[in-house]
Amino acid sequence: MTSAELTLDRTRGNALPGDFAIWIFIFAELGVFALLFLAYAFTRAGDVELFNASQSLLDRRSGAVNTLALITSSYFVVQAVAAIKRDRAAVCSRWLIAALGMGTVFIVVKSAEFYAKFSEGVGLDTNTFYMFYLSLTFFHYMHVWMGMVILSVVAWKAAQGHYHAGAHTGVETGASYWHMVDLVWLILFPLVYVIR
Amino acid sequence: MNTTTNHSTAATRIWLVLVALTVLTWAVGESHLGGPVIVTVVLATAFVKGQLVVEAFMGLRQVRALWRIIMFAYLLLVCALIGLGYAVGLQ
Repeated sequence: MTSAELTLDRTRGNALPGDFAIWIFIFAELGVFALLFLAYAFTRAGDVELFNASQSLLDRRSGAVNTLALITSSYFVVQAVAAIKRDRAAVCSRWLIAALGMGTVFIVVKSAEFYAKFSEGVGLDTNTFYMFYLSLTFFHYMHVWMGMVILSVVAWKAAQGHYHAGAHTGVETGASYWHMVDLVWLILFPLVYVIR
Repeated sequence: MNTTTNHSTAATRIWLVLVALTVLTWAVGESHLGGPVIVTVVLATAFVKGQLVVEAFMGLRQVRALWRIIMFAYLLLVCALIGLGYAVGLQ
């Protein structure tokens, strides 16, 4: 094997980005969300009319704006990881703060959406659709909060100079978790707000 | 340095594609479009968006094939089963 082949082989055999423990958590979370999505999809099959009627009362604009907010925040996190790989800790920290800004947009929009629904008197016991809509989106909402706590810690540590090009596992760990939160929403949005 | 810079530009392109696909899904939602063809398009869009996030943003393009296959299979299975659930509802 030539040295070029060895290098190629090593690149192919790369481990997952960040701490492996976060990936066990990510896979577990993805599994739980998959079960919730399928529970929604197959329960809907039993009462299509109710699901379609209730779904048409959702604020699709909020859902779409929040999709754009999460996609953009994920993109900012990618830039943060690229910055720390170039040894630019301050730039990394600024991208993470920008990502947190987009996360805040999500939280504000989603909170307003919950408030509007609760003001209309909608609750978990309104009907099966709302039981799913509220629990699925609230479960995801808690993950956004969790992701923001993680990103805040990473942004603070980056600003303090805890990471550099040779040691940035923490940044990648936080980034991986945040991308998972984005990924789940990319399925949740069409499933709950669009498919009819 | 060059590779990371190229990586950033590639990420910007991926972000723009994700924004465009989101606007497409939103437009479908606002038009209250439905039916098997539309739902297939919406689910395929979700699958493509998921793959872009996994491969380009999470950076799985650079890792062992095993992890990429697991995530690919996850997204494919979830989107396909959601489609199956929809199909069952049509009966």
